[in-house]
Amino acid sequence: MSDLATRTAPVPAEPAEFPGVSISLSPPLARWSLRARDPAALAKAIGHMVPGKIGESAGGMLCLGPDEWLLRLPEGATVPMGEGLPLSVVDISERAVTLVLEGPRAIEVLSSGCPRDLSKFAVGYGSRTIYETVEIVLVRKGEERWSVDVWRSFAPWLWTGLTTAASHLR
Amino acid sequence: MSAYRISGLGRVAEAAAVNFTFDGKRYQGRAGDSLASALLANGVLLMGRSFKYHRPRGLLGAGAEEPNALISVDRGGGRFTPNLRATAIELYEGLDARSQNRWPSLQNDLGAINDRLGRFFPAGFYNKTFMWPRSFWEKLYEPAIRRMAGLGDAPTDADPDVYDACYAHCDVLIVGAGPAGIDAALAASASKKKVILIDEQDELGGGALADPTLWPWLAESLKDLAKLTNVTLLPRTTAFGYYHDNFIGAVERLTEHLPDPGHGAREKLWRIRAGEVVLAQGAIERPLVFAGNDVPGVMLASAARTYLNRFGVAVGRNVALMATHDSGWRDAFALARAGVRIAAIVDLRETVDAVLLAEAAELGVRVELGSAVIGVAGRHAVEGIEIARADGSARQQLDCDAVLMAGGWTPSVHLWSHSLGKLEWSEDWGAYLPGKANENVRCLGACGGKWSFGSGVYVGQLPTPKNPATIKAFVDFQNDVTAKDIALAIREGMKSVEHIKRYTTNGMATDQGKTSNLNALQLASAALDRPVQAIGLTTFRPPYTPQTFGALAGHAKDALFQPTRKTPIDPWAEAQGAVFEPVAQWRRARYFPKAGEDMHAAVARECLAVRQSVGIFDASTLGKIEVVGPDAAEFLNRMYTNPWKGLEPGRCRYGLLLREDGFITDDGVSARLAPDRFHLTTTTGGAARVLNMMEDYLQTEWPDLNVWLTSTTEQWAVIAVQGPKAREVIAPLVSGIDLSGDAFPHMAVREGTICGVPTRLFRVSFTGELGFEINVPSAYGRHVWEAVWQAGQAHGIIPYGTETMHVLRAEKGFIIVGQDTDGTVTPYDAGLDWAVGKKKADFVGKRSLARPDIVANGRKQLVGLLTDDPAEVLVEGAQIVEDPNQPIPMKMIGHVTSSYWSASLGRSIAMALVAGGFDRMGDTLHVPMPGRTITAKVVKPMFYDAEGSRLNV
Amino acid sequence: MILIHCPYCDDTRPELEFAYAGEAHIARPLDPSALSDADWERYLFIRANPKGRHNERWRHVHGCGRFFNAVRDTVTDKFELTYKAGEPRK
Repeated sequence: MSDLATRTAPVPAEPAEFPGVSISLSPPLARWSLRARDPAALAKAIGHMVPGKIGESAGGMLCLGPDEWLLRLPEGATVPMGEGLPLSVVDISERAVTLVLEGPRAIEVLSSGCPRDLSKFAVGYGSRTIYETVEIVLVRKGEERWSVDVWRSFAPWLWTGLTTAASHLR
Repeated sequence: MSAYRISGLGRVAEAAAVNFTFDGKRYQGRAGDSLASALLANGVLLMGRSFKYHRPRGLLGAGAEEPNALISVDRGGGRFTPNLRATAIELYEGLDARSQNRWPSLQNDLGAINDRLGRFFPAGFYNKTFMWPRSFWEKLYEPAIRRMAGLGDAPTDADPDVYDACYAHCDVLIVGAGPAGIDAALAASASKKKVILIDEQDELGGGALADPTLWPWLAESLKDLAKLTNVTLLPRTTAFGYYHDNFIGAVERLTEHLPDPGHGAREKLWRIRAGEVVLAQGAIERPLVFAGNDVPGVMLASAARTYLNRFGVAVGRNVALMATHDSGWRDAFALARAGVRIAAIVDLRETVDAVLLAEAAELGVRVELGSAVIGVAGRHAVEGIEIARADGSARQQLDCDAVLMAGGWTPSVHLWSHSLGKLEWSEDWGAYLPGKANENVRCLGACGGKWSFGSGVYVGQLPTPKNPATIKAFVDFQNDVTAKDIALAIREGMKSVEHIKRYTTNGMATDQGKTSNLNALQLASAALDRPVQAIGLTTFRPPYTPQTFGALAGHAKDALFQPTRKTPIDPWAEAQGAVFEPVAQWRRARYFPKAGEDMHAAVARECLAVRQSVGIFDASTLGKIEVVGPDAAEFLNRMYTNPWKGLEPGRCRYGLLLREDGFITDDGVSARLAPDRFHLTTTTGGAARVLNMMEDYLQTEWPDLNVWLTSTTEQWAVIAVQGPKAREVIAPLVSGIDLSGDAFPHMAVREGTICGVPTRLFRVSFTGELGFEINVPSAYGRHVWEAVWQAGQAHGIIPYGTETMHVLRAEKGFIIVGQDTDGTVTPYDAGLDWAVGKKKADFVGKRSLARPDIVANGRKQLVGLLTDDPAEVLVEGAQIVEDPNQPIPMKMIGHVTSSYWSASLGRSIAMALVAGGFDRMGDTLHVPMPGRTITAKVVKPMFYDAEGSRLNV
Repeated sequence: MILIHCPYCDDTRPELEFAYAGEAHIARPLDPSALSDADWERYLFIRANPKGRHNERWRHVHGCGRFFNAVRDTVTDKFELTYKAGEPRK
């Protein structure tokens, strides 16, 4: 299944380069939506650190809501499915693709359509939010490095939106 | 260089020459000129024709308030913009500017006949004249009025430009970069705050640009600001609207001033959220209302000073001033010092400040106190004025070629009003000033009433000995509203400013009454003998000045207008020449025509192929929700009409979802994968709505349930393989699943692999044939699709689209929610009693199914229709009647919801919602169409393989 | 575009992340079958629609996903406060 030749992606594999920012498609990732009332029980069930505060991330795990986490690991990773436990582990590896924006002007490109004050995102902070009309999960991975998860069918629109905004940088 | 340019004066004194055309004639201006200043410098006073009377008009102002000089600019290639203010158009090499609302030319405009017929066009004449007969409105009145009255032409070509947009956040947003705004920016930046300073002009400085004594300060301040990294300067940017919670919309003009606009964004929409907003928008001088105050050459005194000091242009050689306010005197003195002859200073006041009189005497300027202009000679340009004492005595004529008006100042409280800040009347200003704020905002400088222009008196109309019914003294220049129109409105019973405004259209032009509102209020106040505050004030609304639709749309244009969602298999369908249709935000392959086929032929072929051999269909857009947790079955049991607790893992069930009002909202086949895990499907268009509805119940009604919902719509690509050969096609590709009919019956689900890819394989059918729906992770959808396609070649596999899917399901009587239901259809109405769990104590919508209206007789019920003529395909949406011979309007008892040609049956089939339909089986009903009536028999909505023998193989 | 404080995220976010969800504190009856037609009608259709202070529901749909309650003035459009679902009327 990891044979790359059999995969298709909704956006170009080649990065789009602009002065001050590059926009590229992340390699395939394993993704899970994790739900539970009790972060400790979830941590125990799947054997991963579970950040307790909305917006925090640790070890590929981002807390999106009071009972919701997004876990992103390299392709091929597995987690226990928690059968019978009061929690929910759902494989969403291919629901979204991850776009990576890197460079000093990445924040400007994202601000072209995201209404949040991105200067307030500390490194490691992430959030579900919106770019114009399209839902995204935005994580500040580094001072000048951001990841954007977007559902697959919205990815071409977002790719066009971000690369167009980048082309307008002056 | 030109007739009215004064050498050595102005900020453009040393600037390069710039060539441009106005109405096709070539002129030369200077870099830094506005179109207005460049035309004035060339002695061009006539710049437009008025809206209603087609009167010749020149400049009234020098800034955003300009009501008269509206210009179209054609940049070629579809770049055509009407209704720009000449004062806001920056001059560039090759500018092609054109006047508007005139024919055949600006000098000789046939529409000017309206001016002489003016007495036939009083206020409210639209309402009075064009009432009857009604049919004339569309055919005669409206087109005629549109031709005669109006602004520039709308562009005819698609806009070739692109527009940028952004969000921005700051601690302090300052609107207006005049002295007050610049000082505020410097002060805020010193405390390390993030500051944005925006100004609508190309050069920062605001009023200081017209005051050479402030230029050294301005240069120093701008140098300081440019050094600050926490200050963003945005010239050429108009803050057009002030919305809730300090959210400001602004448009930055990026290429409007460039000779070659290039391919970059034309404008940029700034959506700014500010901690604090500082409004420093200045004030606009008020014109005076007297006969002939619209003749080209009559303008605001402050505008004349701006043209002189900023652009080095004299507005005339022999200029008169009509003032009721001190500030105009200083403007006249500035002109006099620059060598312009001042014909006279006429002031309505009997006494003015001695300092002003002394300065006038020193400059040798004639002063007429207690007097007013009562007429202006000239039509295309001022030739002279007539003045008289306030009591009408001592009438005399004076030669002059321009008249300045100084009627006091109106603070620009537009954005303040957008923010819902309160306004308070100021006697000193004769205007409304900002009062109590509604947001974190303050007003500085003139717009806050904190600037001294001197003192004055405020009158609605200057006194005149002439018969007021015979003169045109303009209040609203852009909408051609005169003082006598306002008087008429009041005579006819309008007392509130809102009524006067709508009756006369005063303040309703594109300038929103920037120069007219307060004069209209003063006139109404005088006529009604009530204080101005009692008349009321109309509300300013965004935009502050007109903006392009492109800028407001921002990104949302062309490819970015809105997302078109495509499945992983979409590129394959496109390569095969599929015809697509939009379904919600998705585009789906509707049919796959072969060379020479129309839709009818393609769909007939696709239908027969599925019934006879096998077809492949992209069902990836189906909504999917994974329901996981110990209480999953309990939750579904409460949501759906069907029972779920007894469903065994590995089996599927058709689920019907109602709203709490008992009406069908969605349906879909869902599978139990494990005791605590379900894979739900929803309709394509219902996916988000269903998930939201389920989250609502789960979070707020039953928060005790241990179950969670995850959208997996896009996790899975879904490949439907349907037809008698379906099993043979997929068998060689599938591992780990026994596909035999006994081991894997209809309405079952199995997990295994296909082509080495993990799959959730459903044995389900929306066609009535043996069928499978192969769910594979989206990234592998295309790969598996192509493998199935290859494997199917030996069996004559064909791809089919949504149209064929619709025909095949209609042959089986399966409903499409939203097509065969419309939000008023219960499960019983749709004949889906079997899907309602009779023993269940409760589910969403159950109680409503017992409401009196729902159990009453005569509800519309879903039935089949077979036309008497089998070749006749009914039109979907067609109305159904019992008796075709009844008089019109006929009593309609239902409508056709689905209708197709069934190639398998060799005839048409239809479904319909018909009142009392279940009791009409075998009856003949009638479908009236233009010129004829179609007859059809009511049947059960099941046209093909009623016993289901084709499924269980 | 208003700003809304999400009581779950404890953060103030732009309106675009939220969806309105009708009047608050209209609990689904525990046993709908026990209700008279008139009572059921009241539950289904009758809403306060006040001019002024309004208890209403919002969902942080493009954020943490939670439904929550708010008090908003329907005249000024200003939020007085927001609070978690399940907390008593404020």
